[in-house]
Amino acid sequence: MHASVEEREILRGINLTVRRGEVHAIMGPNGAGKSTLSGVLAGKPGYTVTAGDALLEGESLLELSPEERSWKGVFLGFQYPTEIPGVSNTAMLKSAVAAHRKAQGLPELSGSDFIKLMNSKLALVKMDRSFLSRGVNVGFSGGEKKRNEIFQMAMLQPRLAILDETDSGLDVDALRIVGEGVNSLRTDENSFIVITHYQRLLDYIVPDVIHVLYDGQIILTGGRELALEIEAKGYDWIINQHNG
Amino acid sequence: MRGDAARSVDISIGAGESRQLVFIALPGQAGTIDCSVSVRFTGEGGDCQMRGLYLAGGSSRVNFRVNIEHGVPRCTSRQLFKGILAGQARTEFFGLIKVPERCIGTEAYQENHNLLLSDACRAQSLPQLEIYADDVKCSHGATFGRLNADELFYLRSRGIPEAEARKLQMIAFASEVLDGLPEDIVSQAHEILESLI
Repeated sequence: MHASVEEREILRGINLTVRRGEVHAIMGPNGAGKSTLSGVLAGKPGYTVTAGDALLEGESLLELSPEERSWKGVFLGFQYPTEIPGVSNTAMLKSAVAAHRKAQGLPELSGSDFIKLMNSKLALVKMDRSFLSRGVNVGFSGGEKKRNEIFQMAMLQPRLAILDETDSGLDVDALRIVGEGVNSLRTDENSFIVITHYQRLLDYIVPDVIHVLYDGQIILTGGRELALEIEAKGYDWIINQHNG
Repeated sequence: MRGDAARSVDISIGAGESRQLVFIALPGQAGTIDCSVSVRFTGEGGDCQMRGLYLAGGSSRVNFRVNIEHGVPRCTSRQLFKGILAGQARTEFFGLIKVPERCIGTEAYQENHNLLLSDACRAQSLPQLEIYADDVKCSHGATFGRLNADELFYLRSRGIPEAEARKLQMIAFASEVLDGLPEDIVSQAHEILESLI
């Protein structure tokens, strides 16, 4: 897949297959195109796919609206979760869950079942119930925002979750809570793309495959040990190898 | 106020008295609403809290003229007027705050925020502050904006259909005015919001 932002080509031929039950980590230096990849998959306006396709279970995502992609099972955990004053977490999730269930032909959840569902998912990320009535991400600390992303992911149970630098701005405790939250949601049926700059998140969320993204292309793919090597030696040796 | 309406409100607020006023203007698709409000303080320590919301679509018109005279010292007034416009709607908010020289200790605040949903609608805001006294706290602010695109994408990425996401954003914008009002007024306003999308 090739994709451009404002006429500038950012993704320059990405080939990536994530199977059910797999966790793939995408690492790479700043400006490699990591966030563009997540934006393109989630349908963020302003990104143009100029060649190639993105398929979920064989079905193209590119013609679908962001909400349709969500109903199909795509979830984007934002690097910088948006603050939405005046819209409570509960109001947003109520709308979101209702739309998902409608798209799947399921009956609406009763009020009490919805609250039960929220409470069980809150516990996963150790969030206090008081978060529910607050404006979405408004006045949340960096760690709280990221936990809120994982909470929403748990509510929506996606088939493919793309976590865009979920570790940025997290202290060790928050990192552990986020990692445990993600791990508890891993099944043989769902998949994760974990985008990260650093190795440390991968101590908590152990990936099956690691890709290095550079200049809009995946230039190296390896196992878990690749993350440790990057942590020790940085990206230069991989980039040099690629250019060399 | 609904449809076509012309209203003129005169209020005087005595010493230590506190008044809360709420104005909701729903002209529909073709109505015209003119509302002028005059507030006079007649005794020290008076307090006036004013909130207003106008939802104007189609070819409707809304004019608010608010005139506040801080004729005595140490009174407080606060105005928050918010508008959502669509279609070819025209709205005007004119707000005059007068603080004569002797009226020290006055606090007067005025805010007018407008959300524009179409290219053809027009909102005007005309704040006028006439302040002749020292030792006062006064401010005014007017904004004109569109629905925030980042918020919209965030909501849609959670599976909320675009129209509903916009409605949530509009409800959020209006909530500062609508919070705490009787349920039937709030639901009337929400219904109109839906028709503006």
